[in-house]
Amino acid sequence: MTLILTRDRLQRDDHRFGWVMTLPGLLALSLIVLFPLLFTIFTSLFDYTLLHRRHDTFIGLENYREAIFANYFAESLWVTVKFVTAVVILEFLLGFTVALMLNNITRFKDIYYLILLMPLLINPVVVALIWRMFLHPELGIVNYLLSLVGIGPVNWLGDVRIAFWTVVLVDIWHQVSFMIVLLLAGLSALPREPYEAARMDGASTLQAFVHITLPLMRPVIMVTLLIRLIFAVKTFDLVFIMTRGGPGTSTDLISYFIYRSAFFGLNIGQASAISVLLLVIVLVLTAYLYRYMRSLA
Amino acid sequence: MKRLLLAAGLSLTLGSASAQAQTIHILMETVPDTRYIQDLLPEFKAATGIDVEMEAISYIDMHSKLVPQLSSPSGSYDAIVVDFYWVAEFTQAGWLMPLDDLIKKDGLDTSVYLPALMNLVGQVDGTTYMLPFYNYSMGIIYRKDLLNDPKAQAEFKAKYGADLALPQTWEDYARQVEFFSRDENGDGKPDFYGTVNQGQRGDCICMQWSNYLYGQGGKYRDENWKATFNDEAGVKAVEAYRNDIAKHGPTGAESFCFDEAANVFGQGKAYSFVTFNILLAGFNDPASSQVVGNADITSNPGGGLNGGWGWAIPNSSPNKEAAWTFLKWVESKDVVKKRTLAGGAPTQAWVFDDPEVVAKRPEMPRLKDLVATAQEFPTFTYTVEFVEVLGRELNLAVTGQKDAKEALDLAAAEFDKLTQKAGLQK
Repeated sequence: MTLILTRDRLQRDDHRFGWVMTLPGLLALSLIVLFPLLFTIFTSLFDYTLLHRRHDTFIGLENYREAIFANYFAESLWVTVKFVTAVVILEFLLGFTVALMLNNITRFKDIYYLILLMPLLINPVVVALIWRMFLHPELGIVNYLLSLVGIGPVNWLGDVRIAFWTVVLVDIWHQVSFMIVLLLAGLSALPREPYEAARMDGASTLQAFVHITLPLMRPVIMVTLLIRLIFAVKTFDLVFIMTRGGPGTSTDLISYFIYRSAFFGLNIGQASAISVLLLVIVLVLTAYLYRYMRSLA
Repeated sequence: MKRLLLAAGLSLTLGSASAQAQTIHILMETVPDTRYIQDLLPEFKAATGIDVEMEAISYIDMHSKLVPQLSSPSGSYDAIVVDFYWVAEFTQAGWLMPLDDLIKKDGLDTSVYLPALMNLVGQVDGTTYMLPFYNYSMGIIYRKDLLNDPKAQAEFKAKYGADLALPQTWEDYARQVEFFSRDENGDGKPDFYGTVNQGQRGDCICMQWSNYLYGQGGKYRDENWKATFNDEAGVKAVEAYRNDIAKHGPTGAESFCFDEAANVFGQGKAYSFVTFNILLAGFNDPASSQVVGNADITSNPGGGLNGGWGWAIPNSSPNKEAAWTFLKWVESKDVVKKRTLAGGAPTQAWVFDDPEVVAKRPEMPRLKDLVATAQEFPTFTYTVEFVEVLGRELNLAVTGQKDAKEALDLAAAEFDKLTQKAGLQK
């Protein structure tokens, strides 16, 4: 009886200690995440502009209605969907291939690592500025190198059909290492035994990949895709510096749309409304993807 | 008691702070005129003991950095520079401090400024909010060695039956652009360009296209602030712009801003460039140009876009007094002259005619004329938003995704909506 009581008290103490230890973190989080989130939702219901910074005109869902029917809002959303799909899929395929290759290498692994990590260490604004220079159709190095093998000047950022893919390519250059690093960490943590057993049973490399690597890697792949997806939705710097959403509206990502309504249109209420919409979309997408991946496991 | 102690403590710290060296913070754009002033700052420090910290950033970041600072009760910038198309927005919002009392108190003479610039970046409805800082009125920068080449002149005369001389009409200029576009390797695309466009979506294309509009005799609005730029002249201007990019300019000009376009001209690959007058100094600087001594500027026959920046003190300025001391110094005759001699773009009339300045920079009288004939871009509370709308529609039209008339009609409809929202249309 006394023993049980003591255990109960110990547990309670543990519990309390846990709260005390996490409280500062929770407070900080609610201050920098929860408060801005609630403030944004609140602001999205008011006629709140930078010229009139007061929450005194409640307009309900008017900001949402206006945003949805604004010129080019649907286009911007569609460009964002295309962009996110393209970069997540392409970076995953490329990243997984490179990670598999690196996983089998023992010599100079650190050096490969270092080289691959470099783009990731560069600030996105700098990445965009550098590539804008490289891709100058007349004076940039990319078209110069292409001209050496007889390929005419490519209009990287000015051609409606090409500009979108140019931005995707630059994003891949910048972000693919993120996939590689996460997937490689997952690969190197896989147990050796299943592979040895499979080899004894005469399984081919492809069979081992499909039946052992993929199922074991599923949780890591899921997390990697989710994080990358959320980051990709937020992409801003690349289009802001490289294209300003152009030519026309072909690279007009939703984050730049929000930026414009906040800082050019001065309409913080509307910018908040679109941000909330975007948050809902990302949440739904994430939940769906999470459940889908879980159902596969 | 507690409050008394606090007040005593505060006055103590404040007192000691003002006795110490003061530092004022100013947000600037990375342009030549900023550099010239930075070079002169030690003189200001010696004269007043005030340190100046200039944060120079690129144009695209300025507006979004300024707005949150200005709209909060206490900002971190003591003085700022204001682009002409932010003026209405900033003054409407009540972010700028009226300077009239200070001007009167110190007997400052503001009649020294060119009227076109005082109207643009000085006064709003009779109140002085800014001292005009520099002008970037647009003109045609061209290669005078090519224009004055006797062989080219003879060929031009044979082809068009007219003299190759400085353009008197926009058609004259368009003919020269066509004439100088050369396909030397015969691949069907020019490899020497008659002109370079800065057609990137946003303010780049807006600013340059305005010159095409004025060149066709077009105007942005009528007296009642209703859009007129979607008329015949506007459509013609879009078509001419599209034609220049497609036939007479480098690949990718529809994605250039002025820096990319300037590089093409600076590398000696183009005859002309419709752009800001402040770029001329760079084309005659051996460090950044292959066409030193051959670049010159002339006025757009229909008048170029009038542009400029003004010095202002925001209401959120922590140290208005020191900021005013700086403004008086930086716009003093001595500093203005030194900055102009270094290559700057002044706003005070006398300096354009100063013999010493003209001896070093013979283009000065032409620059004065450029400013005097410059045309207005509509400035009102929502100019920044309008520039985004127009920039988008123009870029859609010149990249062939939209018909010129359709694009201009949509931009005009949004313009009318914005001017109504600003209470300008009656």
